[in-house]
Amino acid sequence: MFTALRILVSRIGGLFSSRRMDAEFVEELDAHLQMLTDENTRRGMSPAEARRQARIRLGGPAQLLETHREVRGLPFLETLFQDLRYAVRMLRKSPGFTAVAVLTLALGMGANTAVFSVMNTVLLRYLPLPHPERLGHLRVPNGQPPGASNTGKSDTSFSEPVFERLRKEHGVFSDLMAYVPLALDKVAVRISGNPEEAEADMVSGNFFSGLGVPFARGRGFTLEEEATHAPLAVLSYSYWTGRFARNPSAIGQTLYIKGMPFTIIGVAAQGFYGVEPGASTDFWIPLQSRPELNAWGRPASQGTLYGTPNWWCLRLIGRLHPYVTPAQALANLDPVFQRAARIGLGTPDPKDRKPVLALAAAKGIEGIRDQYEQPIEILMAMVGLVLAIACGNVAMLLVARNTTRQREFSLRMALGAGRSRLLRQLLTESLLLVTAGGTLGWMFAILASRALAAWSDLEVPFLLDANVLFFTLTISFACAMVFGLAPLGTAVRAPVGPALKTSNVTAHRDKRGSWVGQVVVAIQMALCLVLLVGAGLLVRSLRNYETLPLGLRPDGLFVFGTSPRNMRSDDEKARFYQTLLDRLRLVPGVESATLMENRLGSGWSDNNVLAIDGVLPAGKFEDIGVRSNDVGPDFFHVLGVPMLRGRDLADSDRRSAPKVAVVNETFVKRFLPEGDPLGHAVGGTKAEQMFTIVGVATDSKYTGVDEEPMPMVYVPYCQVQSISDMQVELHTNGNPEALLSSVRTVLHDLDPDLPMQKPMTQRAQFDASFSKARLFARLSMFFGLIAVLLVATGLYGTLAYRVSRRTSEFGVRMALGAQPSQVLWMVLRESLLISGATILVGVPLAVAGAQLMRSMLFGVGPGDSLSVAGASLGVTLVALAAGFIPARRAMRVDPVVALRYE
Amino acid sequence: MAEGKFEVLQGTLDLMVLKTLQAMGPLHGYGIARRIEQISEDALRLNQGTIYASLVRLLQRGWIRAEWGASENNRKAKFYSLTKAGRKQLATEAENWRRMSGVIGRVLDLTGRG
Repeated sequence: MFTALRILVSRIGGLFSSRRMDAEFVEELDAHLQMLTDENTRRGMSPAEARRQARIRLGGPAQLLETHREVRGLPFLETLFQDLRYAVRMLRKSPGFTAVAVLTLALGMGANTAVFSVMNTVLLRYLPLPHPERLGHLRVPNGQPPGASNTGKSDTSFSEPVFERLRKEHGVFSDLMAYVPLALDKVAVRISGNPEEAEADMVSGNFFSGLGVPFARGRGFTLEEEATHAPLAVLSYSYWTGRFARNPSAIGQTLYIKGMPFTIIGVAAQGFYGVEPGASTDFWIPLQSRPELNAWGRPASQGTLYGTPNWWCLRLIGRLHPYVTPAQALANLDPVFQRAARIGLGTPDPKDRKPVLALAAAKGIEGIRDQYEQPIEILMAMVGLVLAIACGNVAMLLVARNTTRQREFSLRMALGAGRSRLLRQLLTESLLLVTAGGTLGWMFAILASRALAAWSDLEVPFLLDANVLFFTLTISFACAMVFGLAPLGTAVRAPVGPALKTSNVTAHRDKRGSWVGQVVVAIQMALCLVLLVGAGLLVRSLRNYETLPLGLRPDGLFVFGTSPRNMRSDDEKARFYQTLLDRLRLVPGVESATLMENRLGSGWSDNNVLAIDGVLPAGKFEDIGVRSNDVGPDFFHVLGVPMLRGRDLADSDRRSAPKVAVVNETFVKRFLPEGDPLGHAVGGTKAEQMFTIVGVATDSKYTGVDEEPMPMVYVPYCQVQSISDMQVELHTNGNPEALLSSVRTVLHDLDPDLPMQKPMTQRAQFDASFSKARLFARLSMFFGLIAVLLVATGLYGTLAYRVSRRTSEFGVRMALGAQPSQVLWMVLRESLLISGATILVGVPLAVAGAQLMRSMLFGVGPGDSLSVAGASLGVTLVALAAGFIPARRAMRVDPVVALRYE
Repeated sequence: MAEGKFEVLQGTLDLMVLKTLQAMGPLHGYGIARRIEQISEDALRLNQGTIYASLVRLLQRGWIRAEWGASENNRKAKFYSLTKAGRKQLATEAENWRRMSGVIGRVLDLTGRG
């Protein structure tokens, strides 16, 4: 053992001092030779004969040196270094080939890594917490029991009594944590000076300890602080970074949430953004029972205050004991859950639907699955296509290159190189190429994933996935190996003599080989066509989104949200908003102003079944459902929606005034097709819930750009029960953004704690409603472009190679009288034939593939002829462009030079 | 090649080098090769260069050491000498060799039956 180690050490030493040891050995041999010569001379030989005999006795110095080296060092490593040196030299000798191959690989691998990393973050990765596999979200897939109401999603919400009972089941969970956002979106916060908004959650006292969240500064909450609803706050690391510049003195500072003071006691460690995938929480406070800080920001008036037994508002996440399986956990929890679910609902009716308890792994896939799963799968398919094209390119490049190198291989074999040595040489070259491509691809992936993160509006940072890179690296390497080694097979079988005798140009003009090359290019082009059709469809969808008439005038509109605090009664709120409107109308530049409960283009809407003249319509919800919005005076004037009949809503439609409503065209067509719609009543079945129709407006977009026309009812915001927080819409004839600061002043004068929520132009809000479509259109264009580039280089390479092979043929043809245009046509015909075959195969493939992305299309069918035609034209143009340069070269062949070329 | 001469096995050469160094003290490559040839009464004609592969092997195992010195004719030459580990190794190897050659001798002396 010891000896073996010693040998290894001395051998490794031999690697590094190789030159000195060589010199020493040569000197030693010299001395030896001298002594032998001396001896021979003493025996009476002539000096020349003495020296000759001495050499014979000693043996050839070159061989001796070689043996010496072998024994001395590590021959394997040495040959590896030799191979590497040689590979680098070979690659440097053909920089064009190397650059194209490396870039191709980098693009393929980089795009793949970036997209897979994003997918991994969104869909697969566990929370960055200790033992995340033991964490599970509790769910009620079939919703709350009858009689209970919920805020949030029906399958993720639990009541406070359920939480209190389940958390006592210590046999199942080591900890059960509850959390709930303070607002549907963001909550008003003031740290110093201007009010702003932040995403905040109320959490149980064991939230941080139960999840095992490490702390960068300070501490988390305790159970006692939950019980006393202590005014404390824990910041997320990124909020601490963004808002406090990582100042340690943030601990102890006061944070005003809706005007109420909270003391900052800790900063969670970097990387923890809360437990909801795809979202990021800015800070956490213990569960609160004050009406102002109600869960989800709900008004506390309607039996929905935190703690109300039949209001299901909490989200629950539990940490299972290591020995408890999810099935056991559910079995043990169910009886407790069923009892707790009944609390506050009176005696159970046996016929009632029972809520079902379920556990979902705390992986990213929950929650945003529906939203992102299919698009990301499509994206992966696109990336896969790009990778396939890239691999095809590299394969073709390698085959072409190694075919021309067959002479070199034959020569090396003739000089005594073993097959294994040649094999190793080729492997080393492939490895070098793939490694270089991988390195570059990694850098590319970093850039690409940043761009992806920015585009997809996901607030969770993406981490690049080394496994993915390794995976693509393996695929690329396998491909490079298979195709890189292919020519070796022919080389070792080929008789050495003829291979050496033929010239470089005519060597192995293999009909079959070139046919394979054309097929590979055709396949690549077909894949490219599929990508281009996909990109075309997505871009057309985006165009449709952008150019779709909204039914309103989006220019000069500016929108922001408000949530007045400390106002309980509807009268108070109505007064507040009327004052706000009055003041805003006086701001220079503001042409008109109005209010709305649900911001247009935000996706939110109220959907109900409403009675017409006191009679509820019968039928399916799709047929009788009505969308509504509580809006302010001058609503249609501000938004520029034309009125067909009657009048707009006005300031005079006060709380105390007769209840009125404006409906849209679709509403009239569906519910009041006969006679004059004005004067009919819409709303509840009782007289005090009825709103008289005073106007009919044209249809306009409400939830988003892709909304189908729906029956709409607009009622004055102040005439409904429990006025919500309103969005303010301003119209200006100038630049909407210029209003920002003067509007802020108006708000500040009304209430210094009142932030402007998500101020933006109405156009930007509508644009945001199809941000996903935009993202995927951009990405697919990007992939289409890469595919086109790759295919163009691949085709160019193939054609250029074939032209160079046929130089002498062209020379002969031209010497015999062929016109340059005929030669040009010969080459171009080839690329046209390939693209023709491509279109024949690719179009059905593309249309079939487009079926899969049907749900992402808007206003175009999967077989959209314009997209297909455009993609086919694109592919043909690429083929012609790639063929043109080699074709021109062929055309300019000088017959004399070409014939000498042999 | 002349008859009566035979090729040396690698391991045997190492053993002979060790033994030579033990008997003669520090010696250069030529001296070792010459000495082995003399002892074998020229039955063993070495391609003298092969001795060096053996010397490297022994050096790596730490059984001999080498240093530059002056030869009898005042030429610069590398002198090899036995280390302590080498002495021990020689004893074991020599013992092994004797036992082995004894066994082989007895096997070869077996008289065939019929």
